[in-house]
Amino acid sequence: MSRESQKESSWGVSYGQLVWREFTKSRLNVFWLIVIIFLFIVAVLAPFLANDKPFMIRIDGKLYFPLFRDLGPSDYSIFLAAVVVLAQLLLTWRNRKCIEPSIRGQVLWRQICISSSIIFIGVILIFVFVPRRLDATDYESMVASGKASDAVFAPIPYGYARTNLKVREQTPNVEHWLGTDDVGSDVLCRLIHGSRISLSVGFVAVGISSVIGVVIGAILGYFGGKVDFVGMRIVEIMMAIPVFFLIITIVAFFPRSLLNIMIIIGITSWTGDARFIRAEFFKLRKQDFVQAAVSLGLPLRSILFRHMLPNGIAPVLVNATFGIAGAIFIEAALSFLGFGVAPPTPSWGQMLSLGVSTTGRFLWWLTLFPGLAIFLTVLAYNLVGEGLRDAIDPRLRKAA
Amino acid sequence: MSENGILLSIGGLSVFFFTEEGVAKAVQDVSFSIEMGKTFALVGESGCGKSVTALSIMRLVPAPPGKIVSGEIVFKGRNLLTLGESQMRQVRGNKIAMIFQEPMTSLNPVYTVGNQIAEAIRLHQRKSTGQAWSDAVEMLGKVGIADPAQRVSEYPHQLSGGMRQRVMIAMAVSCEPQLLIADEPTTALDVTIQAQILDLLDELQEQNRMSILLITHDLGVVAERADDVAVMYASRIVEVGDSQSLFAEPLHPYTQGLLKSLPRLGFSGKRLQTIPGSVPEPLHFPSGCKFHPRCPTGCSDKKCQTMEPALREVRAGRCVACWHTKGYEEK
Repeated sequence: MSRESQKESSWGVSYGQLVWREFTKSRLNVFWLIVIIFLFIVAVLAPFLANDKPFMIRIDGKLYFPLFRDLGPSDYSIFLAAVVVLAQLLLTWRNRKCIEPSIRGQVLWRQICISSSIIFIGVILIFVFVPRRLDATDYESMVASGKASDAVFAPIPYGYARTNLKVREQTPNVEHWLGTDDVGSDVLCRLIHGSRISLSVGFVAVGISSVIGVVIGAILGYFGGKVDFVGMRIVEIMMAIPVFFLIITIVAFFPRSLLNIMIIIGITSWTGDARFIRAEFFKLRKQDFVQAAVSLGLPLRSILFRHMLPNGIAPVLVNATFGIAGAIFIEAALSFLGFGVAPPTPSWGQMLSLGVSTTGRFLWWLTLFPGLAIFLTVLAYNLVGEGLRDAIDPRLRKAA
Repeated sequence: MSENGILLSIGGLSVFFFTEEGVAKAVQDVSFSIEMGKTFALVGESGCGKSVTALSIMRLVPAPPGKIVSGEIVFKGRNLLTLGESQMRQVRGNKIAMIFQEPMTSLNPVYTVGNQIAEAIRLHQRKSTGQAWSDAVEMLGKVGIADPAQRVSEYPHQLSGGMRQRVMIAMAVSCEPQLLIADEPTTALDVTIQAQILDLLDELQEQNRMSILLITHDLGVVAERADDVAVMYASRIVEVGDSQSLFAEPLHPYTQGLLKSLPRLGFSGKRLQTIPGSVPEPLHFPSGCKFHPRCPTGCSDKKCQTMEPALREVRAGRCVACWHTKGYEEK
């Protein structure tokens, strides 16, 4: 251990470690990061937190595990992704101690490539081989009528798609902590499952927009001149179009699926990233080390993405956290207007829109709780983004 | 010229910058050649076009606004100006390498020095990552960095200016180029380090038998190290010759002025001479000989004011661009 720490100290502090140190100096940053991590955990474990299938139940003396049997391909995909991401984080943490800094970047890059391909291939395999089950058995009434025993239910024993017209539009009470909606579904359960939609929309949409933005911005910024002139006019045209209305228009033409919404948000919101990267590359391409890289005969790919990008990626990373907040917000707004995912898939925006029921009553719990969830998530991402920006460039904070 | 043969020859090179204020003629009709294994020095004040000449050889002149408008740069029988971008990449780093003036900013801050040296080795010599890494350690040792195995995994900000310049040299020399362009390699360093770096270049030159194009404004450096010297003034070469005879007997009034403005050993008491006036701006060059407004001999001469003198060989191996060279010519 002492040898290890000695080695570590002689390696110096990497840029990532510096940023992390600066970021964690503020307790508020850490708090909001924990909020985000909490949201993640909730999203990943949603079926175990809120489910109308019991973990375990004894029917006619035989033991069944309906909850586990009921998990669908999307659940397994999320678990796989979560496990791989967790493993990657642990690996990165370990790299810090036992891999030389010189090759750490390469090792990390290779590991991330492997992890993402595991997730990618795994998800495809899961969707091909894991069957979609539809277990409509009402275990709760079986327990109530004494047909089954030894049932262990999830903390919130309701399914997000389960309707129960007997308990519709109930205010928060002991059984339904946050009340029920117009078809009698439990609001808390739908909130928990809705977090999956929000987070996945946020991450996938931002992933798509960042990749597009970085590649376009890098090319514009590096070549400059005519390429830049034409490219920037296209970017400006994109920016001049009110994106939200464009999205509504496009969404209206395509089937209301989650993937479509992610892709549409992604391909309409890359302009900010492109402009950031372009500006950074303008500055960077005149730097001596870029000239030196060119004079060594390195290929354009290496110069753009190996030598220039890491020096100019910081604003994009920061922008990504704001972008996640923005994408979550757009998704909520789309769902609120009825252009989002189709029910019974739970979405915060869609729940919010149920606040005013068809009878004209104002159901405050249907507005307050999903609204709070959207508010907290968007706030958390924005504040973490801001903390990250300050950590990456302390000058910005002094100016502010 | 000699038994060594010519590695690089530049003929009639002109590089213009097309700016909004007008056309800046940074380099005009520059010709010289570098022999194998020799050091060729390009001397001149700042802004006279020596760095642009060097960048042209690498085809690194920022375009736009810069453009190589005419001339040829022949490296081992191939005109570099006609090569495609991918062929040029084969030359850069591999055959011709370059060291820049500012060691503080010439290394990528996000990678360790070993990583940066190894990348060039991997690329040009098709070696495995591990092999390239150990080569990088070896190169660092060669350029005189103490404890290379330790330093190789450090980041540029952990090294001093002199060490960074050594790393730059290691990077440039790692692929054993035949020509090393050193663009003011010592300007940003303090005096004691300067000598060390120049000694190192000499040593590497001997080991690898490479040619060096040394670009500098430091005449002291040139006198000691260079085999041949070209003096540039306001975008043109005004005098070329082997360094010994050039320094012993400068022929062009500008070269004479430069040498007179240098302090010499044993020289004391009197003020140093200076060349009156200042370097003309590339956008507003004077007519005729560009040196005539500052020239002690040619001010009044009509010819100097209206016609630009071409570089002419006035003696074996000595070329001068001046109308007043009659007295120097060998009969």
